Amino acid sequence: MSRDGWMKKKANVGGDNGWSERGGYMAAKVSKLDEQFKLDAPREKHKEGACSSIFSGVAIYVNGYTEPSADELRRLMMLHGGQFHVYYSRSKTTHIIANNLPNSKIQELKGEKVIRPEWITDSIKAGRLLPYLQYMLYAKQKGLLFPGMTLRQTSEIAGPSHRPLQLNARQKLHLPQRSIQASVLNHEQSSSGCQNNSVPVSSHSLPQSVQHSSTTTQPSHSASSHLITDPRHRNPPHTHPLSNPSHTKHPHKSPQSTHPQEVEFQINGFLQTSRDTKSHSKINEMQECGKDHPRLAGVSKVVKEAPLSNGHTHLVNGALKPDDLSPATDQPSADKDLLKGRAKSSPDKPQSSPVQSQTKPDPYEFPHSPPKQSDQSPDLEEQSSSLGAEQRPKPPPPNYHEAAKASESHLLPKQPQTPNQLDKISNKTHPSPASLSLSYSSVRLNGSHHNAFSSDAASLSTTNTAATPDPPAGNSSFSSSSKSSAQLLEQTGGLISEFYSHSRLHQISTWRTGFSEYVNELHSKRKVAGGACFAGKDRLRKLVAQRHVDSQGTSAAINVKSCILHVDMDCFFVSVGIRHRPELKGKPVAVTSNRGQARVPVRPGANPQVEMQYYQRKYTNPQPEMTDDDDLHRTPSQESPDSHASRMHQETASLSMAEIASCSYEASYTHDIEALSCDEVLIDGSTLLAEVGVNPDDLAKAIRADIREKTGCCASVGMGSNILLARLATRKAKPNGQHFLKSEEVDDFIRDLPVTSLPGVGPVMGRKLAAMGVRSCGDLQQVSLSQLQKKFGPRTGQTLFRFCRGLDDRPVRYEKERKSVSAEMNYNIRFTKVDEAECFLTNLSMEVQKRLQEAGLRGRRVTLKVMVRKVGAPVEPAKYGGHGICDNLARTVMLAQSTDSGQLIATAVIKLLHAMKLQVQDLRGVGIQVQLLEGNQSVRQDCNVLRKRSIKDLLLGQEPSAKSNNRDTHQEKTSSTTVPSASSLPHPLSPAEPVPGTSKEQPAFRQTPKHSRSRLNLSIEVPSPSQVDRSVLEALPAELREQVEQSWTKRDGKQNNCRSPGLQLSTANPRPSSPPRPAPASVPALYTPPVGTLLLQIPNQPDSPGIVLELPNFSQVDPDVFAALPKELQEELKSAYSCVTNIQPQAKILEPKNPLLQLKQPGVGLGRVKRRYKRKNAISPVKKGASPLKKRQMTNSPAKTLAPAVKAREPINVLKTETDPSTSSSHPDIPESVTKLIARPAPALAGACDLTDIKTLLREWVTTITEPMEEDILQVVKYCTDLIEDKDLERLDLIIKYMKRIMQQSVESVWSMAFDFILDNVQVVVQQAYGSTLKIA
Amino acid sequence: CRRLTEQEYSMVADILCEFLEVAIHLILYVREVYPSGIFQKRKKYNVPVQMSCHPELNQYIQDTLHCVKPLIEKNDAEKVVVVIMDKEHHPVERFVFEISQPPLLSIRFSSPLLIRNDTLLSHVEQLLRAFILKISVCDAVLNNNPPGCSFTVLVHTRDAATRNMEKVQVIKDFPWIVADEQEVHMQEPRLIPLKTMTSDIVKMQLYVEERTQKT
Repeated sequence: MSRDGWMKKKANVGGDNGWSERGGYMAAKVSKLDEQFKLDAPREKHKEGACSSIFSGVAIYVNGYTEPSADELRRLMMLHGGQFHVYYSRSKTTHIIANNLPNSKIQELKGEKVIRPEWITDSIKAGRLLPYLQYMLYAKQKGLLFPGMTLRQTSEIAGPSHRPLQLNARQKLHLPQRSIQASVLNHEQSSSGCQNNSVPVSSHSLPQSVQHSSTTTQPSHSASSHLITDPRHRNPPHTHPLSNPSHTKHPHKSPQSTHPQEVEFQINGFLQTSRDTKSHSKINEMQECGKDHPRLAGVSKVVKEAPLSNGHTHLVNGALKPDDLSPATDQPSADKDLLKGRAKSSPDKPQSSPVQSQTKPDPYEFPHSPPKQSDQSPDLEEQSSSLGAEQRPKPPPPNYHEAAKASESHLLPKQPQTPNQLDKISNKTHPSPASLSLSYSSVRLNGSHHNAFSSDAASLSTTNTAATPDPPAGNSSFSSSSKSSAQLLEQTGGLISEFYSHSRLHQISTWRTGFSEYVNELHSKRKVAGGACFAGKDRLRKLVAQRHVDSQGTSAAINVKSCILHVDMDCFFVSVGIRHRPELKGKPVAVTSNRGQARVPVRPGANPQVEMQYYQRKYTNPQPEMTDDDDLHRTPSQESPDSHASRMHQETASLSMAEIASCSYEASYTHDIEALSCDEVLIDGSTLLAEVGVNPDDLAKAIRADIREKTGCCASVGMGSNILLARLATRKAKPNGQHFLKSEEVDDFIRDLPVTSLPGVGPVMGRKLAAMGVRSCGDLQQVSLSQLQKKFGPRTGQTLFRFCRGLDDRPVRYEKERKSVSAEMNYNIRFTKVDEAECFLTNLSMEVQKRLQEAGLRGRRVTLKVMVRKVGAPVEPAKYGGHGICDNLARTVMLAQSTDSGQLIATAVIKLLHAMKLQVQDLRGVGIQVQLLEGNQSVRQDCNVLRKRSIKDLLLGQEPSAKSNNRDTHQEKTSSTTVPSASSLPHPLSPAEPVPGTSKEQPAFRQTPKHSRSRLNLSIEVPSPSQVDRSVLEALPAELREQVEQSWTKRDGKQNNCRSPGLQLSTANPRPSSPPRPAPASVPALYTPPVGTLLLQIPNQPDSPGIVLELPNFSQVDPDVFAALPKELQEELKSAYSCVTNIQPQAKILEPKNPLLQLKQPGVGLGRVKRRYKRKNAISPVKKGASPLKKRQMTNSPAKTLAPAVKAREPINVLKTETDPSTSSSHPDIPESVTKLIARPAPALAGACDLTDIKTLLREWVTTITEPMEEDILQVVKYCTDLIEDKDLERLDLIIKYMKRIMQQSVESVWSMAFDFILDNVQVVVQQAYGSTLKIA
Repeated sequence: CRRLTEQEYSMVADILCEFLEVAIHLILYVREVYPSGIFQKRKKYNVPVQMSCHPELNQYIQDTLHCVKPLIEKNDAEKVVVVIMDKEHHPVERFVFEISQPPLLSIRFSSPLLIRNDTLLSHVEQLLRAFILKISVCDAVLNNNPPGCSFTVLVHTRDAATRNMEKVQVIKDFPWIVADEQEVHMQEPRLIPLKTMTSDIVKMQLYVEERTQKT
C-alpha cells in the first residue's frame, strides 16, 4: 500500500526514472477512469434511487484503508454527485480521504486536505455537505502536525465515536507540547551550555513526531523499542513536570478508559519528538519503517512479548538493544532522570496502559508503548550503567542496532533540562550523525557516551572526541565529527577542517590553485623585477643556435602561429607512487586514498574504495582484458594497496614539490602558463617559439626531459594551435609522448573523435548527443548551431559547435581572476536540528572567511547552496556518508558591502537557510559561495595599473632618445600622415587604460569601425613579433621589452583573427617615382581597413597608436627608390616582405573564421561591419582619385590569389581576414581559426563580391584611369575565370556586358582593347569549360 | 558546411524535378517546338507559365523526369539538357540546367530539420521563379529556330551513374540511351547564360547554347 502510494507520488513528481514515459499512459488511464465513473454514476443512481448532489464539486481520493471502503466511498460519491479519483491529482482532487496515513505519506503532504471518511457518511446523513474541518485527519500546518498525529492516534484508540471530543483533545494536546517546549526553553535558558538546543527542539520535533506516530502505527517493532526507552528518559523530573501533568490531564478528560494509555502515548511521542530533534534517529526510524519485515526474529519476539506485560517487555528491550554497552550507559544516565520522572508522573500510567493496549484495537502501538515504559522502569530500577549495559547485550542485526541507536539518540536530546544532561545529550548527539549507518560506530558512540557519563558530564568535549573516531571509519570520513548543541561550533568547525584536510579532491584542487598562484606569483614577480631570466629559454636558444650551425634550414621556417602546449603528467598518482619502486613499473597499480598506517579493514558499510584508480595499466599493460578487480587482486601480491596508499601520501608532499618544480621549470621557459590541475599545465608557446625559433616538438621534448629529470615522472605533451587541440593532442601523445596536431590534420583528426572526448562533454551530454544521433565530432559538425544552442543553451551550444570543428579561442590565462570563493561539503552532512545546521554554516563561513582572506578578497554576493535529499530517495545513500540523490537548491543574497568576515557571511547564510524552509534532516550538502569579489585583488590591479603607467611615463621620458633611425622615419610618417585622432590623443587618459591586448578590450575594439576605434584607441599597439627589429627590442630597457613581449603573448592568446587595430596608412599608388612606402599625401582621410597592412608601431611611443602601412606589392616597388632608402629601412621592408611571403602560403590555408562561431562575438554585426569595410575599402580609394583598380590591386596584390578565398564566406557573414600577410602575421592566432571547408570560395574582385560593388569598381576603374594597367586587367580576367569555375555564368555574362558597355563607350581606345583582351581570355576559359563561347550580343 | 543528407537530396530532387517539368514545358512553348495551341496557361511559382495539355508529351516529360530524379537524388546528374533539334536532328539550341551542390551550406540551414523551413523554401521558390521568367523571355536573346524542330532531354551524369540507372529504367520501362554524338555536338555554339541560382540546398545555373547558324 505504502509502496503504491510512493510510486504514485513518483509518478506525480514525474520527470525522472522513466516515469515520465508513463505520463502519457497514466493520463490516459486517469481520464478513462473518470469516464467510467461518469458512465457508472447514472446507473448507480438509477439503481439506488436516492441520489443527491451533495458532493458536487468534491473530488476525493481515497488513500489507504478506510472505513467505509474505497469502493463504498466511490459508490457514495457517484450517488451524491461527487467525483472519485483512483489516482491522486493535485490539481483536481479536492479531498483526500484516509483513516490513517503512514509516516512517509504524511511527510509528503503539502497542505492537502486529508479528511476522515466519516465526513462523507456524515454529510450524507445530514443531507448536506458538512464542513470538513472537523473531520480533518491532520491539521494543515506542519506545526500542528504533531499534535494532530497524536490526536489521530487518540481518536483511533478511542474509536470514531469520539469525534466531537477530538477538537478538544487536539487543543489539549497542543497545549502539552507547548508547555514542554516552554519548559525546555526555560531549562535551556537556565542552563548556559545548551543555548542552541532550545529553539530548534520545538520546530524539529514535528517531523520526529510524525515519524514516531508512523512507527507506532506501523508494526515496526524497532520503533516501538524507541518508545519504550523514551518514556523514562522523556520524563525527567525537571522538564516535564509541567508537561506531564498536562498530558495526563488531557487524557483524563477524554471520557474513555483508554485515556491513560493515550496519555502515555502522547507523552512518549512528545518526548520522542524532542529527542528526535536532536538526534538523527529519525532517519533510522524511517529506514526501520521500511524494513520492518526483514527484522530479525528478535523483533518478532519483541512483538510477541510486548503485549504480555511491561516486565516482559523489559526483557524484550534488552533483547532489542543488544549491541551497545554504550546505550546502556546512555540510558542509565537517562534512566536516572527517567526514574525520577517516572516516579513523579509516568510510572504508574505505563502499567495501566498495557492492559489497555491489549484491549485496544491497535495491537501494535500499544503493546509497544507499554512495554517500553515498563522496560524503562526496570532499567530505572537497575539504574546502574553497568546494568544497562547488561540489559542490551545481544548483538542485533544492523537495523536493529540502528533502531537502538536511534532510540538512544532520541533519548539523549530531550534532556536539555539539566546542564549535565544537556552535556550528555550533546555528547551523544555528536556521535550519532556519524554513527547513523555504522553499527559499530554506534557502539563507539555509546561507549563514549558511557564514558562521558560515568566520568563526568562536564567533559563533553573529551567524550565527543572519544566517541567520534571509529578507527576504521577514520580514513576519509570525518564522520567522527559530530555536532553537539553546546559544542556544535567547535565540532562542526573541526569537522569542516577535518573534511578538508581529508578530502582528496580538495587537496588536489588546492594543488591546482597553488600552482595557479605560483604562476601568478611568477608573473607579478616578473612584473616587479622587470625581466626574468628564463633558464630554459636560454638553453633552448642555445640549442637552436647549435641547430642552426648544424643545419641552416630546419628551424628557419618557423612560423609565428600560435602554439599551445598541454603538458600532462602520465598516470600522475601512480607514477608518483611508484617512482621509487621501479619494480612496480608496468604492473597494474591501484592507488587508494587510505592513509592508514597499516592495513585497514574494509569498512563494512562502504565499498572498498580505491578512490583514486589510476591507470598505469591503461598504457603500459598489454593485456586489455584485465579488469579493475584484477588490478586489485594483483596488486596485493606485490604489495598491499594500503601500504601503497600510505606511501602515496607520503609522496604527495614531495610530489607536489616536484610538480611545482616542474611547473617552475616550465616557467623557466615562459610565463605563459596556466595551471589546469595538479598535474596539468597549459603553456602558450607561441611567443617563445617565435622568439627562440624552435619548433614546438623541440620545445615539448625539452620540457618533457626537464620534467622527467626533476620529478622522475613521465609527462606527455600535446600541441595544437589552440587549447582544445592541444588537449586533444595530448591524448594522442600519451603515454609519455608528444604530439603536434598540425593545422592541416585537425579536420581529419577531429572528425573521427568521439564527442565525449571533447572537454565539457561528459556522459550526460554524450548521451544527449547520442540521442541526436551524434557520436563523433564529425556527426556533431552536421548539427547546426541553432540546434545545438536550442538543446544545450546558447553558450554551451556555441562551444560545442566550435569545439567539434577544432575551434577554440580560449586564451591561456595565466592570470586567473577568481570569480568566487566557496566552501562546500556534501559528505556526511546529517543534521538533526536547526542549530546544528546553523553551527555548521557558521563554521563553513569561517572556512570561507579563511579562504577569502588567503586570497585577499572580499565578496559581496553570498550564495548558499544546499543539497536536499530528493523526496523519495533513500535516507541513507549507498555510499557511506554520501549525499545520495539530491535536489540542488541555491539562494543568493547581496550583502550591503563586500566582506570577508565569516560572521557576516554566516548570518546571511543562516538567514537564507531559514528562508528556504527546509527540513534540516534532509540536508545532504551545504556550500557557501562568495562572489562579486573585490578587495585585495583590486588593489593588485591598481598596482598593475600604476606600474603600467609608470612604464608609459618611462616610455615618454625615453621617447626622444629611444628613437632609432627607422623609428624616426616612422615617426615622420606618423606625423605626416596626420593620424588625426589617435596621435593627437593625450596619452594615457586614465589609469584604467587597457593593457595592450587585454582580452576584453581588444575584441570590442576590433568590432568597432576603424575610425571610431582610432579615437578610442588608448592602448599602445605593439607590432607583431615578426615586425619588430630584434636588435631594437633587445636594446630596450628590460621592462619595456617585457611589456612588449607580454603584449604579444596576450595578443596571441586573445586575438581572434581580427584585423589589427591601429591606424594605417594606406599606401599611395606605387608610382614608379614614389618610394615604396606610402607617400603621406596619399593617405586617405578615411582609414580604410587594413587590407594588406603592415603594422609599424613604435613601442616606445605611447601616444601614437602606431602606424600601419600598407605594403605595396613587392613587384610594384621601384628598386631604385628602394635602394635609396636607408639601410635599416630597407631591411625592415625586406623582412616585412619576407614575412609576407612566408605567411602567404599559410594564409591560403587559413580560411576566415565565421564570426558567428566565435565564442565571444555575436557574429552578425561584426560581419556586417566587415562587409561595410570591404565596400569602403573597395570604393574609398576611388574617392581619393587614385586608380581604384590599382588601389584595389595594391591592397590585394600581395595576396591576390587569396582574394577569392577570402571572399568565400561573405554570404555567411564571414569575417574576412583581409588577406594581408602582414596582418595575418601580426595575428599569429589566425591559424587557430583554420577550418577546411569543403566549399569553394565565392569569387570576388578586389574584395568585392556584390555585383553592384563590382560594377561600381569597374566603372570607377574605367572612368578614372586613362590607361588600364595590365595587372588590373589580369585581375579582372582572374575574377571572370573564377566566376566560370564557380559556375556563375549569369554574373559573368552581366559583368562582361557591363564592361563591354563602359569600356567600349570609353573615349580611350585602350579600354576597348582592354575589353577585347579580357573577353578573349574569358572566352578561352569558357570554351574550355563548356565547349562553347559566350554569345556577346 | 556540410553535405546534404539523403533525405535532403530527395527533397532537393523533388523540388528540382518539379521545376524542370515546368521549365521544359515553358521552353517548348517559348521556343515554339510545339504549336502554341497545345499549351495552356497555368500558374506556377506565382508566375504564369505555359503547360502542354498533350497527354503523350506530358507523359514523356514526366517519365523523363522520373528517371532523372534518382540521379539528382544521388547528386549524379551534372546537367539536364533540353536539346532542341532541327529536322536533321542536329541540335540548334541546348538549354542546359547545370546542377551542383551548393557551395557551402550556411550555418543557418545546415540543420536537416530546417530544410523544411518555409523561409528557405520560399527563397528557393523565388529563385526558381527567376529562372522561369528568364526562360519566358529568352527568345529575346536567341535567334529564331528553324521550323520543324523536335526536342530531346539529355542528362549528363557523373561517373558511373548510368549503370545504376539501368535498373531503374528496366523497372520503369523507360530506357535511357547514350546520346548520339550528333545530338550532343553542336557546331560553333554560343553560350548565353540565363540564370544562376545559389540557394542553400542547391546550386543551379541555366544557360543556352545556341548554334551560330541555325538555318
